[in-house]
Amino acid sequence: MRRLTRTEYGNAIRDLLALEALPRELDLASLLPADNTVGFDNVAELLFVTPTLMEAYVTAARKIARLAVGDPSQPLIVDTYPLPLELPQDRHLPGLPLGTRGGIAIDRYFPLDGDYDIEIGLTRFGREPERLEIAVDGERVALVVIGGAADTGESAYDPSAGPLRRRVRVLAGARTLGVTFAGKTAAASETLVSPFSRGRGRMPAVTSVTISGPYGEAVPGASASRARIFTCHPVPPDADDPACARRVLSTLLHRAYRRPVAEEDLAPVLSFYDAGHAEAGFERGVQRALERILVSPEFLLRVEAPAVDVPPGEPYPVTDLELATRLAFFLWSSMPDDELLELGAAGRLRAPGVLAGQVTRMLADPRATSLVSNFVAQWLYLRDLEARRPNDRLFPNFDDGLRDALLGETELVFETLLREDRSVLELLTPNETFLNERLARHYGIPHVYGSHFRRVSLGEDSVRGGLLGMGSILTLTSYATRTSPVVRGKWVLENILGAPPPPPPPDVPALRDTGQDGRVLSMRDRMAQHRANPVCASCHARMDPLGLALENLDAVGRWRIHDESGAPIDASGVLPDGTAFEGLTGLRAILAARPEAFVTTFTEKLLMYAVGRQLGPFDRPTVRHIVREAAGHDYRISAIVQAIVGSTPFQMRRPES
Amino acid sequence: MIVVKKALPRRTFVRGVGATLALPLLDAMVPALSALAQTPAAPTRRLGFIYTPNGVIQSQWTPEGEGHDFALSPILAPLAPFRDDVLVVSGLAHRQAESFGDGNADHHRATAAWLSGVHAWTRSTGLEIRLDVTADQIAAATLGATTRLPSLELALESPTSIACDSGADCFYSNTVSWQTPTTPLPAEVHPRVVFERLFGDGGSPAERQAQARRTASLLDSVVDDAARLQRRLGPGDRNRLTEYLDSVRALEQRIQRADVAAAETSLELPERPTDIPADFGEHARLMFDLQVLAFQTDLTRVFTLLVGREQTNRTYPDIGVPDGHHVVSHHQHNPTLMAKKAKIDTYHVELLAYFLERLRATPDGDGSLLDQAMLLYGSGLGDGDLHSHHDLPVLIAGGGAGQLEGGRHLSLPETPMTNLLVTLLAKAGVPIERLGDSNGPLNIEPAGV
Repeated sequence: MRRLTRTEYGNAIRDLLALEALPRELDLASLLPADNTVGFDNVAELLFVTPTLMEAYVTAARKIARLAVGDPSQPLIVDTYPLPLELPQDRHLPGLPLGTRGGIAIDRYFPLDGDYDIEIGLTRFGREPERLEIAVDGERVALVVIGGAADTGESAYDPSAGPLRRRVRVLAGARTLGVTFAGKTAAASETLVSPFSRGRGRMPAVTSVTISGPYGEAVPGASASRARIFTCHPVPPDADDPACARRVLSTLLHRAYRRPVAEEDLAPVLSFYDAGHAEAGFERGVQRALERILVSPEFLLRVEAPAVDVPPGEPYPVTDLELATRLAFFLWSSMPDDELLELGAAGRLRAPGVLAGQVTRMLADPRATSLVSNFVAQWLYLRDLEARRPNDRLFPNFDDGLRDALLGETELVFETLLREDRSVLELLTPNETFLNERLARHYGIPHVYGSHFRRVSLGEDSVRGGLLGMGSILTLTSYATRTSPVVRGKWVLENILGAPPPPPPPDVPALRDTGQDGRVLSMRDRMAQHRANPVCASCHARMDPLGLALENLDAVGRWRIHDESGAPIDASGVLPDGTAFEGLTGLRAILAARPEAFVTTFTEKLLMYAVGRQLGPFDRPTVRHIVREAAGHDYRISAIVQAIVGSTPFQMRRPES
Repeated sequence: MIVVKKALPRRTFVRGVGATLALPLLDAMVPALSALAQTPAAPTRRLGFIYTPNGVIQSQWTPEGEGHDFALSPILAPLAPFRDDVLVVSGLAHRQAESFGDGNADHHRATAAWLSGVHAWTRSTGLEIRLDVTADQIAAATLGATTRLPSLELALESPTSIACDSGADCFYSNTVSWQTPTTPLPAEVHPRVVFERLFGDGGSPAERQAQARRTASLLDSVVDDAARLQRRLGPGDRNRLTEYLDSVRALEQRIQRADVAAAETSLELPERPTDIPADFGEHARLMFDLQVLAFQTDLTRVFTLLVGREQTNRTYPDIGVPDGHHVVSHHQHNPTLMAKKAKIDTYHVELLAYFLERLRATPDGDGSLLDQAMLLYGSGLGDGDLHSHHDLPVLIAGGGAGQLEGGRHLSLPETPMTNLLVTLLAKAGVPIERLGDSNGPLNIEPAGV
């Protein structure tokens, strides 16, 4: 038995209720407390249930149910979307209409058909008038002239009259709200100005957008959520229609509990429907019943029933229905869909060809993106990039725009691996990557223009592409002021070679960073101290050469030929077994010559994530088996996933003592 | 009915450019069992535990002189206005946080041992989660028995924002509060969530009461689901379900208490905070403001707060430290790095001083909240550079309703930190025999008393 992680809960809500882009008020991160993690956050032992969490579930259920059903009496919501000071505003931004500059595109669920206030924080009003556009789903709903001569007509904004606010009508459901400047301006290029004046520059710029509402008369409307929930409607609408209520709630229960439901499941939920119905009619009844479902242990906990007639301690196969749930949480980080539930309930999921066919179908589904956003993000600690603040004196170019681009590249590489079913070895020896102008300039690659990412082929000698050439990884394995060959070496050992070094002994003496003559030592000379001490040498002889090979890439992943001390970089190295190599390309060749090492590491990570527990020595045969299976298919990602799904730990269950 | 006018400066809660917009106002009057209702004869015990990560620069933390005759050290200088309310205790140690051959997870063991005095299991024995009930939770079981929230667990840093590079034991540093030996309590980072836990998410008093009734019947009903599940499962595999049921019951009790507390007095609330402030100091002050409110309304009497997680690499550009905290804590006696680390340590104490100021400005019983409260501030690491667990930075602030005499520096031979915890709990009216590795209470009375 395990409870859903916060991510799984969010995805299950999305899929159960067709709720997307929740208002910030319902941000998952504020709705539920964060889970503990040991590399992955879905390890069952760490998924505690506490009163704090329970209280959060109750509150979340109330907020989610009223949003999904479209309770017309729900309180108005105020969400502020601040624009990071560093976000470039001098050019077109992804998600906004072409020919516009700056601003923000906000994907957000609007709870009801109604009037919403859009308040826009601005800085700097230029001498030239600028036109600011507000658009909903790409359609302009307001145009405001700001700056320039005092009065340019009705649409002019007068800063002395208070903040810029426009009331617009928005229909219920997930919408994209765009706030941006119409038309090009002669803006200073972002790289030519210092980081603090960059972005907002001298032109008017948007600093925040606040959405509040609905105000006045607001009605439920035709949202996707309502369409998903209300599979029938009472006629007339205010009639008490117990048959329709049963139908609506049975469907919700079936999905939420991930199994066929019986009368004893429905009865307690119906009593909440009755109470809500007495309170304010049919829809309120469904809303109250939904709250009740979302707090049930059957929704929040993943339960696998014990097998009968199995000797204690003996593993046994989980039921088809339980397997359907395992599959969905592995590949989608969410609940199973109706097709999986049907196959599971009918006991047909393990029929010949069915399981493999389902895996193929699921990998092609958009929900499989969770393998990138959840699995890869945790494996590579991509969520950490958010918190990284490279020293702004040394790396003035590092801002949110670059941070997003670094993440974008990594996500697209993995997304492509998945969608095009590539070999995972391409993560080591790539021949292409994904860049936009910002990132291409950071990497020193010419002829890439615009804010959108595109596929870029790489030459044989390119240092770019793959895990080791990604700025995201190179930044994550550095300190705020400099690279760390030790951290990088350890990263390669752990994530590529699957041979993590033991922790250092206690009371390690400091490395000297200056020589006898007082001169600053080069990184290589500093690292040499490790090998002079036999206690350190046993591990550092493995770590340091791997990290030093990456020294041509600085703490934010830029190419360089001198290190922090000004010494020319020597990226040559010798492995403990005597193999000599040179730099990142040399290291790549060495890693590519041992493909099983990386595939084994990748498989271990993915298997741990798939079964939601730490692996032990008894899992080694399973991992070896999966790697052998995948070898016959060029180590394609689908082959690894299929082999994991077919493996004993994924198919079987050992009773807990 | 007593109405306390706006307790907090409005700007504290309303941030950003959108701030001029009317936020959804809660019904401004919330019922509260106000501290003001307390009589001097039965002062309310209030306890707080504030954890600062990565140790301190000890040479700049430890005051010169002993007893009443001491000078505040550079790091403690921001406490000058509260010198008489502060007792600095030197010489305490958490030896249970040491490695015992379990590898170098000193940071995480430091957090785990801080209020438990128990050596945390580490990866060398596999993933086994076991500590002990922590001092704050022992206190909460008694002091929190009549308040709506038995305790509040707060943090200024979320667990997921930091990579854990030393294996399975990292989760030990996500919280200092363990409700049972196997259940750590999550610490809340978001000010709005804290606010809503204290005061609800809106509506008139009548609406809130109706909502409380609905929640009560909801909880009542899901207990049946759990019972049916339990039957389906048989005897094994029940841990989470048991936790689920315990949690539901705990919530049910809270709702009943809220009923009792209704309509005693009223307090005008500030507006609901919206976001986690981007500025660390602002975030800290906001959380402290909320904790002052929680004490003032007597919604809880016990709290813990993590100023940061151990091993945090938060940067502090605003105070001239653009480097990561953990990085500068391993200063290796480099004077520049030591100065930076001391700056961070001092900044954290400055934020504590803000909290003390707010407590002193808030009446409670026949004095202020500061007079009544007992606050422990410190770290499970002494020298962050060496990962030492002795000579820990420890100070106690507040008057403890006349039981604590501040304005002193107590310099002891090495003593288990848990002895101090045992003494604090006793002063809070929660006597216990022992805690973790304690070997008796600690005499912290002034000499000659």
